[in-house]
Amino acid sequence: MEESNDTLCVGIDLGTSRSSISASSGERHVIDSYVGWPVDMVARKLVKKSVLVGRDALDNRPMLDLRRPLERGIMKEGSEKDQEAVQEILRHLIGLAGVKPKSKNKVKVRAVVGVPAEAFRVNRQNLRSTMEGIADSVMLVSEPFAVAYGLEALLHALVIDIGAGTADFCVMQGRYPTEEDQKTLPNAGDAIDEQLMKLIRERHPDAQFSIHMLRDWKEKWSFVGEPKQRVIVSAPIKGKATEIDITQEMRTACESILPPICETMTTLLAKVEPEFQAKVRNNVILAGGTSLIAGLADAVTHALSDLGGGRATVVKDPVFAGSDGSLAIAQDASGSDWEKLSL
Amino acid sequence: MPSIGDTKARLLRGIVEDNINVVQGVRIRRVVRRATRVKVWLWIAISGLAVGYLSVATQGVSRGGAPTSAVAKAPAPAINPIASEPVPETEAPLAHPRPIDRNAIPLGLKTVVIDPGHGGDPGAIAESGLAEKDITLDIGLRLRRLLQEAPFEVLLTRDTDRRLSLDQRVQFANENKADLFLSIHVNSMEPRTIRALETYYVGPTDDPHALNLASRENKESGYSLSDYKQILEKIYVDARRDESHTAARTLHSELFHTLKVDNPELENRGVRTAPFVVLIGTQMPAVLIEIACLSNPEEVELLTNQQYRENIALALAQGIRRYASSLTVAARKGS
Repeated sequence: MEESNDTLCVGIDLGTSRSSISASSGERHVIDSYVGWPVDMVARKLVKKSVLVGRDALDNRPMLDLRRPLERGIMKEGSEKDQEAVQEILRHLIGLAGVKPKSKNKVKVRAVVGVPAEAFRVNRQNLRSTMEGIADSVMLVSEPFAVAYGLEALLHALVIDIGAGTADFCVMQGRYPTEEDQKTLPNAGDAIDEQLMKLIRERHPDAQFSIHMLRDWKEKWSFVGEPKQRVIVSAPIKGKATEIDITQEMRTACESILPPICETMTTLLAKVEPEFQAKVRNNVILAGGTSLIAGLADAVTHALSDLGGGRATVVKDPVFAGSDGSLAIAQDASGSDWEKLSL
Repeated sequence: MPSIGDTKARLLRGIVEDNINVVQGVRIRRVVRRATRVKVWLWIAISGLAVGYLSVATQGVSRGGAPTSAVAKAPAPAINPIASEPVPETEAPLAHPRPIDRNAIPLGLKTVVIDPGHGGDPGAIAESGLAEKDITLDIGLRLRRLLQEAPFEVLLTRDTDRRLSLDQRVQFANENKADLFLSIHVNSMEPRTIRALETYYVGPTDDPHALNLASRENKESGYSLSDYKQILEKIYVDARRDESHTAARTLHSELFHTLKVDNPELENRGVRTAPFVVLIGTQMPAVLIEIACLSNPEEVELLTNQQYRENIALALAQGIRRYASSLTVAARKGS
């Protein structure tokens, strides 16, 4: 509501695999949630930086102590290095939004950060502490709630935000969601990766591939339902580049998250007042990177038919839906609200 | 039905309330953290005073004599087989030029780090059992003694038979802000008839011999040669290379002409580039010298001679002095 030239509002979706930022300056960026420190002097000389973030870190990973510091959407506990890595990600994102760390004319940064729906209070406290020195005021909100707020889907809607670490559910009933309205599942993108890795290793035990290769394959070829084309990828077998067909493995791995997601959706829908259930069933919104799996919305819609019919749709911009929603919250909050939540 | 604006206002109140609950938890934590910080600062202050007192108390010892290595300050233990001959600390130098008055030279070169190769691990070993690690340490210690009066500080990465990783050596030189890094090694190659002097500075190479040598000397670094190729592509334009080249040429020329007298069949393999990790990681002009071949029985015999080793150290000391002078001249010319 109140924003001046010396204030920058940002919305951040701090994701296990990717993190995005949307800023009131109009900047929007997404980065891989990786941080790496050069392992020694030689590596430092090569990369010419003391710390690398995002794709830069992934590309130089052989020379880095590489961290993916978020696990199931929250900071890994008990590791100072991972906490430091989260700080680097946040600092980097805010830098991308245009805030120079040592600028004399310091801009006040008001940040809304999305966290998993069921993140424990202690996780939220840790995240707030981590933001010290990076932002001036911070609000933490549940990720699916931020998506709903940004889309103005505030009444009779169910948002399912499926990221890498978690699938987060939030039923919107025109009020601030309670614990009853929200749910977090660990069955998301990373669970698919694990399953896919296991299935390919079983069928092609000699194929050599890394988790990063597998994630690239998933990004390009993931699907549920009947395959529209074969999924053929290239992986070395005994040092020789070999094409392998992973169509069935991809389908099985991607479909593995459907039963728990549909079951949780059913449970949450059953808690909605009976006269509004049909409205909510017809307004199921899928967001997050994993919602980009081809055929996922159709599969969820199909599951809704067993409950009397409904419709699931994927948001237009799944990657930025969370950060855009968080930015909307940041801009709508009053100056006095921000004062109460300063760091 | 409430308007969107009213609903948003209600939701925002909920968000703020929820976050204030989180903040209250954080405030409790902050008090604890501040208390901890006070303890940490108190501890740092006490430690600082203690370290300050100790350094004042020991200053006379560490600065009064020859500069000592910050890595290893223990006295040199017996090393085998050369170790049986103690390093002559007061031996009269042969062609040793008179030390230059420290004040006569503006310090273009303030700190030289000498890196006796290997240690702990033997490096190359001659048939007689003579190990590379012992030769390099012996020459390093001699060099330090010969440069005792030089207008710059000389530090050794190791002055005992101890294992140091390549990264530790690099770190030592960088942390001490050395202006020149000299790594001393002894080669071993086939055929055994070869006796050769080779000097390296950082750079790419397609020479299989240099690659093989670099691969051997770098083996504990954890990097593959393909990693080095990538590294070198990035640092190829490093201005430090020119300085390293100058230092390498000066040292090599001094050493070759000195040793040729006693070792007339010594092959001059010249100054070359190769991706040695100690040359890549250091942030100052850096040179690696393979002073002899332990695979050649005649050179092994020469190396077991104390005077020959002293000559090697003398030549290197003279080379370092010449390099230092060239920097001084350049500084005076304002280049």
